[in-house]
Amino acid sequence: MSVFDGLKFRRVYSPIHNLDPRIKFVYVCAVFVVAIIFSEILPLIALFLMPIPFVLLAGVQKEWLRSLRGAAFLAGFIFIVNIASNFFTSGYVLTAGAVETSAAMTLRFVVLVESFSVFFLTTSPDHLGLALEQTRVPYEFAFAFTTAVRFVPVLAEEAQTIMDAQKARGLELEKGGFLKRIRNYVPVLIPLIVSAIRRSLELAEAMESRAWGATKKRTNLYALKLHRGDFALLAITIGVLVVAIYVRLYVPVPAISQFL
Amino acid sequence: MAVIETKNLTYTYPGGTKPSINSVSIKVEKGEFVLITGPSGCGKTTLCRCFNGLIPHFYQGELKGEITVADMDTATHETHAMAKSVGLVFQNPENQLFALSIEKDVAFGLENLGMPREEMRERVDWALKLTDIYDLRERSPHEVSGGQQQRVAIAAVLAMQPEIIVLDEPTSFLDPLSAEKIFEVIHELNKKLGITVVLVEHRLDLTAKYADHIIIMDEGKVCFDGNPREILSTEETRLIGVGIPKATLLYHILQKEGVKLGDVTPLSSEELAKLLQEAFETK
Repeated sequence: MSVFDGLKFRRVYSPIHNLDPRIKFVYVCAVFVVAIIFSEILPLIALFLMPIPFVLLAGVQKEWLRSLRGAAFLAGFIFIVNIASNFFTSGYVLTAGAVETSAAMTLRFVVLVESFSVFFLTTSPDHLGLALEQTRVPYEFAFAFTTAVRFVPVLAEEAQTIMDAQKARGLELEKGGFLKRIRNYVPVLIPLIVSAIRRSLELAEAMESRAWGATKKRTNLYALKLHRGDFALLAITIGVLVVAIYVRLYVPVPAISQFL
Repeated sequence: MAVIETKNLTYTYPGGTKPSINSVSIKVEKGEFVLITGPSGCGKTTLCRCFNGLIPHFYQGELKGEITVADMDTATHETHAMAKSVGLVFQNPENQLFALSIEKDVAFGLENLGMPREEMRERVDWALKLTDIYDLRERSPHEVSGGQQQRVAIAAVLAMQPEIIVLDEPTSFLDPLSAEKIFEVIHELNKKLGITVVLVEHRLDLTAKYADHIIIMDEGKVCFDGNPREILSTEETRLIGVGIPKATLLYHILQKEGVKLGDVTPLSSEELAKLLQEAFETK
């Protein structure tokens, strides 16, 4: 069940978890933009280091490192492809500059991954749903999102039960070649889908019974309010953007290979 | 004053060959604790769905006869309009909770009604305290036990402050101890708040003592309707397959053997114990 463990959400309190998801999202997008406009390694190293205080404050180091490890393979791939293409196009010589550019490209990818992972690691689905609602996304979509998150562990448990039941009747899931193994899962999938459909009917019934669609103007138990921390993050975001754009336009960024 | 009244109510599900409920005429008075029981497939759930307008609005099919619930005709009032007056609690607690925290779930109905936030907060806290799950309010429904989930479902319905609460076998997924707790909560709501309770249940051992009125159904029809002490004493009820409380059965066996224990039929072991004690003392 370890695959599903990551999707189970635990309520945690930290200054970062409590930040408004909308502001956090704007921050992530700003980092994204900055990472795109620079292809030199120095600013990208700065960007790479920026989320670290957030991660420490939120106390999600372990999960964060795991997501970085997940990205390592793709990062390595990007690095090799860059190096190789550089090597072949520049007449079979490997320059320090080429290594640096390749590293910068890789780092750009890592920066994108790490900042998004910080966002998703520190934002509860509940908060995310709320943010969707309050940014005027139709409530149906926000509801579908939170309900999906709510039922992930339920369906995971059910899948396990069905697998056990089918195994007890002699189904061998781990037998055969690749295609055969996929086919083995059909007797698990069909009951799972049927029961999910039945479940959705019951859910719809329960929703109707609790006045779903009674008014157009739905209210919400929680409200997202901007606190001091949110304004601070907003200030940081704007600061980063302004500095980045200024540097891009007026300051030549040196490459490390120039100093060697 | 009757809060639920049906006259010759007959309903066939789409594609059904015979009606699931057949000319049901019942009356539920305000503030009553009504127990509906009968063998599986006798139409109890179908009847519950009629009470808040799921039939005929959510389920198509053919509905005949008259039904008024809380002075509303369910044929012309949509389910969401009925929801303020009639709360329906379903069998499977898992499939009636959709939010990621318990308090958000309890607030769901009120959010749908568009209630202002401060009032909603008050009502949610009130409902959570009444059902004794206030401390769990920030947990996810997935993390708590089945009994607690079912209490969340009751709180969610309660928060809307309905006149009538209909519970469709709320304990069939629960162990006996959790079931007993649920029944106690329901009984309190009935006694303290005067909410009319319609409880569909098989476990008469635990519930018969709370009932003011019992309705026994079989094959879509109402067979018996009236005082639980009289109805549960008849041989016919036992033959339909109703689980008569063991205390009641024992009382009748003793009665047949010539043991005189007073005229009031007991519905629970406590009541029987009291009768026996009295009998010993007078000896």
